[in-house]
Amino acid sequence: MNSTLYDPAFWSRLQFAFTLTYHYLFPQLTMGLAWFLVYWKWRALRTGNEKYNQAVRFWAKIFGLNFAVGVVTGIPMEFQFGTNWADFSRYAGGVIGQTLAMEGMFAFFLESAFVGALIWGEKRLGPRYHFLAALAVALGSWISGYFILVTNAFMQHPAGYHIEADGSLGIASLTAYLLNPWAWVQFAHNQIAAVVTGSFVVAAAGAFYTLRGVHPDQARLYLRAGTLVALIASVLVAFPTGDQQAKMVGNHQPVTLAAMEGRFKGGTMAGVAVIGQPNIAARRLDNPIELPGALSFLAYGHFGSYVRGLEEFPEEVWPDNIELLYYSFHLMITLGTIFILLMAYAGFENWRGRLASNSALLWVLMLAFPFPYIANTLGWMTAELGRQPWLVYGLFRTRDGYSKVVSNGDTIFTLIGFVGLYFVLGLLFLYLVGREIGHGPEEKAYPGRGGEPL
Amino acid sequence: MIASWYVVVSFMLIVYAALDGRNFGAGMLHWLVARTPEERRQVIAAMGPLWSWHEVWLVAFGGTLLAVFPRLLASAFAGYYLALFLILWGLILRGIAVEVGGHIDDRLWQAFWDFVFVFANFLLAILFGAAAGNLARGVPLDAQGNFSMAFFTDFKPRGHVGLLDWYTVPVAVFGAVLLAAHGATYLALKTEGPVHDRSATWAKSLWAAVAPLFVVISIESWAVRPDLPGRALANPLCWLGLLVIITAAVTLVSGLRHRCERRAFIGSNLLIVGLLATGVAAIFPVMLYSTLAPENSLTAYAVAAGPRSLLLAAVWWPMGLVLTILYFVFISRRYAGKVSVQRDNHGFY
Repeated sequence: MNSTLYDPAFWSRLQFAFTLTYHYLFPQLTMGLAWFLVYWKWRALRTGNEKYNQAVRFWAKIFGLNFAVGVVTGIPMEFQFGTNWADFSRYAGGVIGQTLAMEGMFAFFLESAFVGALIWGEKRLGPRYHFLAALAVALGSWISGYFILVTNAFMQHPAGYHIEADGSLGIASLTAYLLNPWAWVQFAHNQIAAVVTGSFVVAAAGAFYTLRGVHPDQARLYLRAGTLVALIASVLVAFPTGDQQAKMVGNHQPVTLAAMEGRFKGGTMAGVAVIGQPNIAARRLDNPIELPGALSFLAYGHFGSYVRGLEEFPEEVWPDNIELLYYSFHLMITLGTIFILLMAYAGFENWRGRLASNSALLWVLMLAFPFPYIANTLGWMTAELGRQPWLVYGLFRTRDGYSKVVSNGDTIFTLIGFVGLYFVLGLLFLYLVGREIGHGPEEKAYPGRGGEPL
Repeated sequence: MIASWYVVVSFMLIVYAALDGRNFGAGMLHWLVARTPEERRQVIAAMGPLWSWHEVWLVAFGGTLLAVFPRLLASAFAGYYLALFLILWGLILRGIAVEVGGHIDDRLWQAFWDFVFVFANFLLAILFGAAAGNLARGVPLDAQGNFSMAFFTDFKPRGHVGLLDWYTVPVAVFGAVLLAAHGATYLALKTEGPVHDRSATWAKSLWAAVAPLFVVISIESWAVRPDLPGRALANPLCWLGLLVIITAAVTLVSGLRHRCERRAFIGSNLLIVGLLATGVAAIFPVMLYSTLAPENSLTAYAVAAGPRSLLLAAVWWPMGLVLTILYFVFISRRYAGKVSVQRDNHGFY
């Protein structure tokens, strides 16, 4: 019998991880796609070219379905702080509650007020206000991301807090809390990663229509905009934002960096393992192929920098699943590298005017869109597994944070409920989005355009 | 400061109840007031472009509660574990039914999502009603401020209580009828044709049922919490609340009589606000009453975050409120008047 099954913290962690991972499949596209909508709506306003409005109408439908699932799967996240992590809420609620409440007051209100108008309100609003609705939704979704990342950054690298008389945490400085350097770096990295997802999806739709030989004007627009943005975002997500994120981990969570790289022994000229399997029992990396000195350079800016190994830290502060952390991190890096190469090649073909005729490339672009979702998920697994065994880094352990009054059975029951409900929701979403993609953008003039009074 | 925050979180919850309550009400009556597919689209369109904005009041309430009363949120949410997840799943189903029901122009597809929509709205109205009953009756809090509760125990409202008993079930029924009446009043204001006529008829009969039920649960409340009426009488805010309730009832009845739908709907909103405000004023400062021992009850003063956290939250919270009122005014003005299925149909894609 594995004692993990009797550990209530395990089930609450699994439920939170599952519901959050599933939830985040939707906002990452929302946040990435939102700026495409804003840009096309703006182009439509400036040029009067109807093709941009057609693009907005088509993508607004995908956006709307995506947004709806994102909203309904997001509500359980906030409530689980109380239901499953009551002791964590008692301890840190005075701090993290601030940003969760701000997210509601400043981001969700903004998004939810304008999203209906963006998707269904073109006739009610008129072109200018419709553009503003797109802008409001884009801003709202990014502001929401910022507040959530401040919350996460506090758990990774606490800032701006003080300890109250009863031992719980309170806010000492709102500016120090909101301007946590970890939050800025993580925000930049995470938001650009969302743009990678959005642009891969746009490019995939363009490739799909091109290969099918339908909607040629729209397909060209999606393909060009998608691949160009994807190239820029894929580069930025690695450098400087990913690089800065790794340095942040190296400076503030050295034990996490060691675990991410599977380094048990410290030393200078530390290498990055391209391949290898961490072997916890033997405390070594099996079958490694390393780039010597690369880790020292990337983490601390010098090939000669000393990178500490796991053995230099007591085992009780090691992340509790080093293998999963290692593989998540390495697979994310690998995917990120492939994204840059793929989109650089697409950019080159575009420059040679062969983007729409290179059918091998189009097939790859069409089928590549799931991988940014995987890379985003792996990035979050790296961040959250790397934070273990802490809920608030260095201050409060995960095993102290769960709700003592909730039984394992209750949590397993609700977890199974979520799995079932989200499975059905996923099928429904794929069916409806598939239908929209199948219909494709409407290339006729909009029925209500100009004629209907506002 | 703590009392002001009690007012703020109560305000957010009450605004949520009034705003989303009308959607629950419209949802419960969906099959009764709308028969053809077009009529049913009219009901969904009447929920308007702002229904998710209504739901955000609940989300923002949850976040604010965590920020200013973290120990209350921890005790209450963990204690109501399963009931809360039922509410979450109900909200998921309701939201999905609204969003996807109109996507496909097919009778079976729409009939199925109409069913999900009606079912989820009933579930939510009853669960929120039962939650209100639980707040008034109390929960089995121990000396550490923890509780965990079954759906029902022996149906007695004292000692080791369950979620449902002979007090909270009538409150849940009252809540569902009240919200149905509220929803019918709203639909009468926002729709035209047969949906309008049926909603107006339902509004009258449902409001007629609210009055006797109100008397029943008032007597029950007095029996379950004999201390409450005395506390209410000593609290000037409760007298103010009573005044709001009376004004609301007069406005509502006059609106229904003279077929002035706007007036009736204002009265209906005021009535919900008045009832809930009187309730939260009467229980203050206790936020969660213990049915085991009154001294275990959690007061606002015992569960609040530190003074500096409360002060800092008081800086930004009003800004958020002003902004959201601006968005609301902007969108509402664009969507004023009766809904038109041509214009506001959520579109078969």
